[in-house]
Amino acid sequence: MSEPFKTVALMKDLMSRYYDLGEEARRKGIPVVWVTAVFPVEIIYAMDLYPYYPENFGALASARKVADKLSMAAEAKGYFNDLCGYARCGIGDAYASEHPVGKILSPDLLLCCNTQCGSLPKWFEAAARFYNKPYFLWDSPYIEEQTSDLKQNYLIKQLYELINFLEVTTKRRFNIDKLREVVALSREATGLWNDCLEMAALKPAPFGFFDACIHMAPIVVWRGRREAVEYYRELKAEIEERLEKKIYAIPNERHKVYFDHIPVWPKLRWFADMFAANDTLVVASQYTQAWAMNFDPARPLETLAEHYPQQFVNRGVDYRLKLKVDFMRRYNCDGFVLFSNRSCKPNSIGLYDKKRMLTEMTGLPGVIFEGDMSDLRFFSEGQVKTRFETFFEQLG
Amino acid sequence: MVIKELMNRFFTVVADPYSEAKRRKEQGQKVIGWLPTDVPEELIHAAGAFPVGILGSSNNIRLADTHLQVWVCSLMRSSLEMELCGDLDFLDGIIIPQTCDTTRALSGLWRKVCRTPYVEDFLLPKQVKRPSAREYLTGELARIKTSLEQVTGKKISDETLDTSIRLFNENRQLLRRMFEIHTHQPGLLTSREVYTVIKAAMYMDKAEHNGILRDLIRALEHKAAESAGTPDSKARLVISGGVWEPPEIMDLIEEAGGVVVGDDLLTGMRYLTPDVDEERNPLEALADRQLNKIPFGGFDNQNYERRRFLLDLVRNSEARGLIFLHLKFCEPENYDYNDMREALNSAGIPNLRLETEVANPSLGQIRTRLEAFIEMIGGNPIERTL
Repeated sequence: MSEPFKTVALMKDLMSRYYDLGEEARRKGIPVVWVTAVFPVEIIYAMDLYPYYPENFGALASARKVADKLSMAAEAKGYFNDLCGYARCGIGDAYASEHPVGKILSPDLLLCCNTQCGSLPKWFEAAARFYNKPYFLWDSPYIEEQTSDLKQNYLIKQLYELINFLEVTTKRRFNIDKLREVVALSREATGLWNDCLEMAALKPAPFGFFDACIHMAPIVVWRGRREAVEYYRELKAEIEERLEKKIYAIPNERHKVYFDHIPVWPKLRWFADMFAANDTLVVASQYTQAWAMNFDPARPLETLAEHYPQQFVNRGVDYRLKLKVDFMRRYNCDGFVLFSNRSCKPNSIGLYDKKRMLTEMTGLPGVIFEGDMSDLRFFSEGQVKTRFETFFEQLG
Repeated sequence: MVIKELMNRFFTVVADPYSEAKRRKEQGQKVIGWLPTDVPEELIHAAGAFPVGILGSSNNIRLADTHLQVWVCSLMRSSLEMELCGDLDFLDGIIIPQTCDTTRALSGLWRKVCRTPYVEDFLLPKQVKRPSAREYLTGELARIKTSLEQVTGKKISDETLDTSIRLFNENRQLLRRMFEIHTHQPGLLTSREVYTVIKAAMYMDKAEHNGILRDLIRALEHKAAESAGTPDSKARLVISGGVWEPPEIMDLIEEAGGVVVGDDLLTGMRYLTPDVDEERNPLEALADRQLNKIPFGGFDNQNYERRRFLLDLVRNSEARGLIFLHLKFCEPENYDYNDMREALNSAGIPNLRLETEVANPSLGQIRTRLEAFIEMIGGNPIERTL
């Protein structure tokens, strides 16, 4: 991980402003809308509602190493520790008497898209029952090879149903021109985010995957607002400045590797140090790249119905293999890391075979490790370390 | 024919589930398998192919473990194992419905590591009450229809599809009739027998199944009239969950003094309700059957409240309690369980959760828990001779 960026202070301000806005929305009677990370939040911002990301809460609790405590509160109620760690954090916090990362903000409405997984809808359904609030699912059929008119029409129809649902429940009017503006802001921010991520391809690079994990919160929660654009403009400028001053992400970059998907949040620093100690920079992940979307503001609803449901996690094996290989080529990787994350079935099932296929396709060494993105009860440091020792030997 | 002989036929089928499929394969008919649940078998049948359920087996899981993590449910690991060890070599194709993250991921894996020539996904809508769901599902069924036509080389006309729908409706009606007799007089068949008849329908030719089932119903009706008024002391129970695996679970329930009189299982009531409307456009009618099915955790059940459904089911079945029979690692059930249990508790309905696996079952502890539960709700266990 790089030396802390100046913009970290800016991000902290931005994130506390985001949380303050939530409290303010509650006081002013502006509906607090739960949304999933890969959801057309642009519609929520276009209607001046407040979007809240329970997954962000899960990631925060995980990074602060309290996911196990919150999960145990859910388990005591009758939920199970094999469910998604974020969901266990969210459900656990609803039942817990102690709130180690602050209380999860209760929703007035819950909106979910199942592009990411089937866990989120089940969590949101349970939450909708718990808080007794209306719930809407934007259902996104799987794309094995390519999408179809049938699927796209279904997605668009549902967006109209969603808008109608929001107008009825919030008594606010939806305005397509306002949506166009929000989508344009989203595109600008996601473009800048992509520019930042791309700088990891330089050798040596001033910015890597673990930096991206630290700096990704605004692209998730502020996407669609000017704040996100301003933030990533600052970040990009600072990365460029570091490049000029020859300040790099790790001191002695010899290798670049691709990391598939989400980090182990409570072990973020541990992983970053382990890679740095082996002169290896993690340069890309389909996870952080998921927010590098290129929307078309001229077709606001269509563009939303294309980009969100076509995320990698909703795609078939061949597409996902190609995506990983493309990242490895674009970022000149020397190897790849696959995370068999028991909290994320849709990304983890099939990885055992993909490891072999990826090596066949690229000739590069890979490593696969078992764990949980949130919960350290399912992480064996010794075992993971041993796996990686072999991997680093293969990298040379 | 006596009930026992008819039942023997069904037991023979589930003991060797693919003999009919293999026989048909030898005769040149295409065989298309399906994973649970909700694949419209009528379309496979109308395309001239033989539909057959792939429901896991009790064999050890070895080969599948190199492809699937141990936290994947045993129903899917076991079904993949069957293919990998060659037990499903007779399949010309398989349709995998995407009802959870595991089935969603499995279909891609199946294409990569299995030999099944034709692998098709059934991409079900997960919200079932908004108008868009019906329109989309009708289109998806049309897509599956075309896909089946291509693989079998046989055009599916509205007439042949109507004929298939009538045949499968008849099967559902007969199964429901058998179940109705059972709920009125649970002594005539054991729980395991009732559910074996249902499971056999997933492996057999429907016309043949209908024939034997009709004889069974006649025999049951006759016996019911003879034994009317005989008191039954078994504790009536509802089962909620995915599949009634391992099958011995049904024996354990009866030995502990219980009898199953209602369920929401994929290999139970969900398979035999509702019928397809025979008066309508067949694809739209098939879509409506799907959307009107009883609640299952894989689909959004905010509007069709699963809790209310289970309470009604317990009351209408005059059951004394409910047993959740959950497969270990089944996410949809594990998310729904807490709220379902609380609803039952609030309504004063005793309930018990049992966690099972399809392969390698260890039943000792389950037996003890069942005995304690059924004793608590006032059943009389059958004397066991050891």
